Amino acid sequence: MGAGDRVVGRTQWCDYPPAALAVPSVGDGMPPNVEAVAARHPDLVVLYNAGPNVTAAQQLERIGIRTVLLDMNRLEDLGPATRTLGRLTGLEQRAESLAQAMDSLTSTAVDRPRPSSTVAFVVWDNPPIIIGHGSYLDQLAAAAGARNVFSDVTAPSAQVSLESIVARDPEWIAVLSDSGTVPAFAKRREWRAVRAVREGHFLLLQGSLFGHPGPRSGEAIRRFRAMLVRNDEGAQHAAPLHQAPNR
Amino acid sequence: MKWTLLVVVAVLALVTSVILGPAAVPLGELLHSDIVWNLRVPRALLAFLVGGSLGVAGASLQALVRNPLADPFLLGLSGGAGLGAVVAIALHVSGPWALPIAAFAGALAALGLVYRLGLIGGAALDPRILLLGGVAIGAFAAAVTTAIVSLADAAELRNAFLWLWGGLSGASWDSVLLVVLYIPIPLAVLLAASRPLDLLALGEESAGYLGADVEVVKRRVYLAASLLTAAAVAVSGVIGFVGLVVPHLARLTWGHRHRVLLPAAFLGGGALLTFADTLARTAVAPRELPVGVVTALIGVPVFALLLRRWTIA
Repeated sequence: MGAGDRVVGRTQWCDYPPAALAVPSVGDGMPPNVEAVAARHPDLVVLYNAGPNVTAAQQLERIGIRTVLLDMNRLEDLGPATRTLGRLTGLEQRAESLAQAMDSLTSTAVDRPRPSSTVAFVVWDNPPIIIGHGSYLDQLAAAAGARNVFSDVTAPSAQVSLESIVARDPEWIAVLSDSGTVPAFAKRREWRAVRAVREGHFLLLQGSLFGHPGPRSGEAIRRFRAMLVRNDEGAQHAAPLHQAPNR
Repeated sequence: MKWTLLVVVAVLALVTSVILGPAAVPLGELLHSDIVWNLRVPRALLAFLVGGSLGVAGASLQALVRNPLADPFLLGLSGGAGLGAVVAIALHVSGPWALPIAAFAGALAALGLVYRLGLIGGAALDPRILLLGGVAIGAFAAAVTTAIVSLADAAELRNAFLWLWGGLSGASWDSVLLVVLYIPIPLAVLLAASRPLDLLALGEESAGYLGADVEVVKRRVYLAASLLTAAAVAVSGVIGFVGLVVPHLARLTWGHRHRVLLPAAFLGGGALLTFADTLARTAVAPRELPVGVVTALIGVPVFALLLRRWTIA
């Protein structure tokens, strides 16, 4: 939106764009350290709308600092959040064009690739916790042309039994991994019952890009799609090797 | 008759656990299914062994500290295990077995500290000192754990708690093999102490007069029961109520003689946990309930009934 030079504080988690790192950190974001925030003398504080932040917002308002709570849970939250920020910063026009780009990520008019691959998002291995229908990652997968095998689970995330993962047999296991390495559970014997684990079919998603919705959601979708396509081609190349000679 | 019934219940719990699951496996293919062989069977066996161990550890500790509310985790072990797991995650120790090993080490550290406290000033494992020491060490470990979780920035830390209360999802033939090799020794030590444990109920002095070497028995029982519990935590996290309720149920039916009470507590604990885990896996499939929730949901009403019986009697 072009308001970067007006940012006077960030949370320790805000690491994009790289220029953000030059802004002083005021600590954690859930809830923020209210005194550290006030010490930066902001005109406006933007918080993620969740339990502990609601109290913090009231505290900030009480000491006369304007505070806004934004819902940022799903793709469709991005457009409204952008417009709100545009209004509050007086950059309505630039915000509007960005908001339209954000809206287009969810609009049905966009040619959705037909889901050709199946994926399970595993956020924790013991007990296995997966991503369900109510979440941002489920939306990302759909937009990138993959079907989340647990999209019948309505909650954003849920504990499931390993057996259900085996039975639903996803082609890919997607994990958030900042190190870019295959998770340790891949070596555990009980996880080898999952075909995608045995075959090493992991999609390693970098947390800062894929972990939450934001201006880079479009890039996240493109990257996700690229990973699926690249891996599909790899699989096709490999396929003839597995065919019996007399077939 | 009582024994036949208990064995039938135990076998039934194991068989149901293998037949039922969130994935539909036809009965005819049960013996050839990868899901059954590599996931359900080891999980059922692990549930049974862990439940049995907790039952025996609970029965022995209740006799040792002469307190009906004693449970295997009362003496600081769950706090120690939780701290171990969180430290491993905060230090980015990786590897498929990192968490179980760290939790086991944490439980052993808590065990050692409480044991040492129990000997302070010639206290000779006085039950009151053991209970107080256990609660204090547990609270201290929990405080350090919470401090690490709130200060460190590893996103996985929250999940350490999930793991700690996690239950039996990590079951594999590896963990079953480990437990099968490990638990016979503490179990044998406890069973061998059944006669002196009977005598301890009369008070330490009387037990001494009747020929029990009270000091040695107390040390052996405390260490063996805690080592059983530490292994249970390492492979399955903290599973409540099995070690509290099952010994009482067994005592109501089999009386106070530990030679029969301990085997009954083993079979009963095994059956209860196996049954609870089957419910946890299937009740809300494909989702899964934490097994500790199910054991508490079954265990608390039973326990309430027991309390009622005691207060009326």
